[in-house]
Amino acid sequence: MIDNLKSTFENFNKNITTKNTISKIRQDNFDKFLSSGFPNKKLEDWKFSDFKKIISQNFKNLKINLKDKKKFSFDNHIKEFTHNKIFFLNGFYNKHSFKYEDDKKIIFSNLKNGPAYEPKGNNSLNLLNNAFFTDGLLLYVKKGYKCKKPLVVYNIFEGNNKNNFFNQKLIVNIEENSELNVLVYTINLNSNPIFFNTSNFFLLEKNSLLKLFYLNELSKKDLNYNFTETKILENANFENFILSYSSSFFKNEINCDLKEKYSSGFINGAIFAKKNQHHEIKTKVNHFGETTKSYQKIKSIVDKNSKTIFQGKIYVDQKAQKTNGYQLSKAILLDKESEFDSKPELEIYADDVKCSHGSTSGNLDENSIFYLMSRGLNEKQAKNILIKGFLSDAVETITNMEIRDYFLKKIEKNVNEYK
Amino acid sequence: MLKINNLKAKIDNKLILNGLNLNIKSGEIHAIMGPNGSGKSTLANVLSGKKGYKISGSVLYEDKDLFKLDIEERAQKGLFLAFQYPLEIPGVNTSNFLKTSLNAIRKSNGKKQLDALEFLKVVKSKAAALKIDEKILNRQLNVGFSGGEKKKNEILQMSLHEPKMAILDETDSGLDIDALKIVADGVNTLRDKKRSFLIITHYQRLLDYIKPDFVHVLMKGKIAKTGCSELANELEKVGYENI
Repeated sequence: MIDNLKSTFENFNKNITTKNTISKIRQDNFDKFLSSGFPNKKLEDWKFSDFKKIISQNFKNLKINLKDKKKFSFDNHIKEFTHNKIFFLNGFYNKHSFKYEDDKKIIFSNLKNGPAYEPKGNNSLNLLNNAFFTDGLLLYVKKGYKCKKPLVVYNIFEGNNKNNFFNQKLIVNIEENSELNVLVYTINLNSNPIFFNTSNFFLLEKNSLLKLFYLNELSKKDLNYNFTETKILENANFENFILSYSSSFFKNEINCDLKEKYSSGFINGAIFAKKNQHHEIKTKVNHFGETTKSYQKIKSIVDKNSKTIFQGKIYVDQKAQKTNGYQLSKAILLDKESEFDSKPELEIYADDVKCSHGSTSGNLDENSIFYLMSRGLNEKQAKNILIKGFLSDAVETITNMEIRDYFLKKIEKNVNEYK
Repeated sequence: MLKINNLKAKIDNKLILNGLNLNIKSGEIHAIMGPNGSGKSTLANVLSGKKGYKISGSVLYEDKDLFKLDIEERAQKGLFLAFQYPLEIPGVNTSNFLKTSLNAIRKSNGKKQLDALEFLKVVKSKAAALKIDEKILNRQLNVGFSGGEKKKNEILQMSLHEPKMAILDETDSGLDIDALKIVADGVNTLRDKKRSFLIITHYQRLLDYIKPDFVHVLMKGKIAKTGCSELANELEKVGYENI
């Protein structure tokens, strides 16, 4: 796998750019990646997800075909709510429409021609992303502008044997007093498996608001590692929701830095893992500023030999007095072969702090099933109602009503269609 | 309507019902009273099909073997159990659930399913008739409901389902007078010649509002005494021990 990846990289780096400086930085990233390789379970952050094993079981080769510019059409847009759109096809910017907004207030470009990102940190998948990213989004919402409609970033793939490895970056800056809602919607139209490796960065300046939603409609052999880093300045508010039910492997890693006073971060998610799926949400919320708050609520349903993981850490710096930090993860396991791992952590260096964490796991409640069946529903209907209710409880945290209803609808469909 | 013959039920090898006989005809209201642990709730659970009991004896519901019916089939055929402790179901909207449940029953009986508007009209009029605040419809099913609200919600469902045979398992426990009247109204409005009730209660208070045709005393898993509604008053005076 690694030897093949080396030749994939060599070929890729020759063709992606003509600028030597950029090639050099990409090479540095790749070399640093090679020194550690794919993360395995010996690393604390990956102790429940042996990615090295997972990727070698799913892929013989990771390939990038930069010549694969075959146009394909996608017309399955979200119809439930009006939105601005940006399309990426097989990892490259394709088109956009910001027709609901003042286009002077939204500045964006793609990342196809650079810049390059110096190797930083030890996250080997981020290094891999720095080495291999083909494109991405650089977006500024200008000072004082509140976007009227949500932006949907459509990542559409038609993966094939020669093009199955995609790396993308979203870099978004929400300037002072501005607001944006973003849904990142990732879809694979082919059944050929892909590995989609993303590394996103969001800066929320003073008094700004970002609501960020992740949704995948990937196929059952796809892998997606989705890394999100946020820096949140004074009185800014970050709200994140992950709806995780598709793809073989889906790991969301969110680092949320509450840098300045009165900032807040909400990270919530619903996972419905079934049929050998492996889904993880890992969070790290750092309270650096005073009077900052964070909430996390993650709910998982796990069935048929699948596995879900929640690793969540709340760090409170000694300066971050009057912090409020709450974290709750709950899982329901539907069969004996499924697994839920939870690692909640608090690390607190300030004394005037309210923090809590909780984690529960169990079965569907037999008495609740009996109650619902006694009202005329069959067992399957009763269980589905309980599953939907359990997950909806997390979805209800979404404060964008259109997206909340859309996600509830997705869960409804996903649960009803599940056999 | 319901013929119970020598019904025995065991749970975890403990005998709870020990040869219970009871015959409820169409249009009759029977009350069952009895001390804690006498088997009242077990009787309700066994009749509505809760799993985990070892059962012998027979129960005929509309002349058919009740035990051959699944839990939901019993409900679909008109058997309704109002729970002593209605379950809280987070994330499930009460109104949506009531609609799903009513439509499941209508569908199994070959009736047209109600759309959202039709359903709302029905449920709102039922709630108004029972003086139940329709706000509960927009809340999550029983979540954070007071004891009274939960019981009222059971009565609202009973009135929606219009069952042939309704079992009320200590629906009156913990209710104030106003809520008690709502429960009684729910029963009295539905009371007719084709519909039967089995009312399980600890206290005679509810029976001041619902006049039962028969009162039974359940002791140690058996009917120890049967009488008319005056028996309830007597029980209140002398207690179960002296029966």
